[in-house]
Amino acid sequence: MNAIDVSHLSKHFGKLVALNDITFSVKEGETFGFLGPNGAGKTTTIRILTGITVPTGGNAQIFGKDIVNETIAARKQMGIVHETSNIYTDLTAWQNLMFTAELYDVPKALREKRGKELLDLFGLWERKDDKTKGFSKGMKRRLTLAMGLINDPRLIFLDEPTSGLDVQSNLIIRDVIRDLNAKGVTVFLTTHNIEEANLTCDRVAIINHGMIAAIDSPEKLKGTIQSVQSVEVAFDPVPPQWEAGLREIATVSEVRKLGDKFRLITEDPPVVLDGVMEYAKREKTTVISVNTYGPSLEDVFIKLTGLDIRTRGVKTVD
Amino acid sequence: MAWIGQLRVELIAAWAIAKKDMLIYYIKPNIIVSGALFPLFMFLAFAIGRPAGPSVMIPGLIAITILFSASSIEPVSIPIERRMKTFDRLISAPVSLHAVVLGESLSGFLYSIGIALVPFAAGLVIFGTPILTVIPLVIGVLLTSFCFATMGTLFASYPTESPGDIMSMLNVVRLPLIFISGIFIPISAIPSMAQPLTYCSPLTYGNDLIQAAYSGTTYFNPVIDIVMLLVFILIFQFAANRLYKKFNE
Repeated sequence: MNAIDVSHLSKHFGKLVALNDITFSVKEGETFGFLGPNGAGKTTTIRILTGITVPTGGNAQIFGKDIVNETIAARKQMGIVHETSNIYTDLTAWQNLMFTAELYDVPKALREKRGKELLDLFGLWERKDDKTKGFSKGMKRRLTLAMGLINDPRLIFLDEPTSGLDVQSNLIIRDVIRDLNAKGVTVFLTTHNIEEANLTCDRVAIINHGMIAAIDSPEKLKGTIQSVQSVEVAFDPVPPQWEAGLREIATVSEVRKLGDKFRLITEDPPVVLDGVMEYAKREKTTVISVNTYGPSLEDVFIKLTGLDIRTRGVKTVD
Repeated sequence: MAWIGQLRVELIAAWAIAKKDMLIYYIKPNIIVSGALFPLFMFLAFAIGRPAGPSVMIPGLIAITILFSASSIEPVSIPIERRMKTFDRLISAPVSLHAVVLGESLSGFLYSIGIALVPFAAGLVIFGTPILTVIPLVIGVLLTSFCFATMGTLFASYPTESPGDIMSMLNVVRLPLIFISGIFIPISAIPSMAQPLTYCSPLTYGNDLIQAAYSGTTYFNPVIDIVMLLVFILIFQFAANRLYKKFNE
């Protein structure tokens, strides 16, 4: 049985079509990424799959339970981590956790045992009796994730789990996602962080304008756009007229400056490598590092969503 | 008997929501003090100089206190929860919207009963107002509190993140209720054109029932008061459930 089955789902808000006949499924135990620019339909999809919003057409099932007609049975199997860290800041971490457990009918002894385990796991046990209004953004996010796991769900929805977090919180949350996957929990992840999806997801769907533009494993998606390979090079010193010079190298279609490095987009990296060495010799500079890359998931995302070229070169797409 | 199990789950969730609301919004000194003082001053503004004695005025004060205290917090707390996105946590839990509405109303209900003790105690201690029969008082306070708490939750279904939007709508309804419900003007003295409005006010029946405890007489039959309050509670509960569902779509 699939964890999620979505069939011809659509959602209209008046004349606005938020979702237009989308169909996909998520296997049990899979980590599934849902990528798309703002307004693409990610949040609407999550709100329908969690039973908050009713679709205009089509249907969605969670472990075989129809989310519209068997909402409560479907919700019992899921945990939800909303995009915002929606915790009660006037309650302590422990009170927040126990409140969520009561909403999910977790028996008292079990909720206290799991509460301790989760606060330990997320590095919050020492702060369990502190009101959460004093927590950092990362701590609030970790607590939100703990609240999403208190009912030991078979499926967890993670809406932008690591967006804007500190390194420590990021690492903890990514480890937890991997552990959940290893335990057979199905993870449905929406993120703007394409590299995160690349590293954690078994499959990803790219949604744009309310339609699924592509759905496959990250590597297979990358394989669809082999024309977007690149050579990354760093010089010391950086030549003054670098942009014009690098653009003149044969087969280079685009130059992106990434910090102290330059990424040259090409269909033929070996030709570019030769060109880079000749350019360095001509400009009397030294090549201090050089790497070649295949197409990234970000490239696939940009190609499929038609994102404006000015936003390229960044890893997080808004 | 799966429905019994689910009913138990729904009640546990409703109680959890009520406890949470009490901790966050109600058990705060400023909320408790203002909850007791606001209806008192409003009552004094209209009651001073009137010939009626404490046995008529105290039940009226209790009814007004319940009206304002039971219906005041949800219209503030729910928009704030919408803004903080914590309301999503409630409406995505594995319980029906009825449990969410009930939980929100329960907290207002408990708060209102606590606040109603202030005019009740004032009547007893300061004015020595005798209570002729306790049962109508208890039933009146319980049903009127729950009725107006559910009314507050119903108004809070309006999909806004600003408490002011809801409070302004609520006051358009609450303030006229005071004048058409037999508190300052006996129902028999209300002009016949306005009488239908009087019958449409849940405060009429709550006040009538509480008056029975102090005066021993009622305008309506106490059974009618109880039935009408129960009908209003059911209407508010189901209307709130329907509106929360509709606005989430």
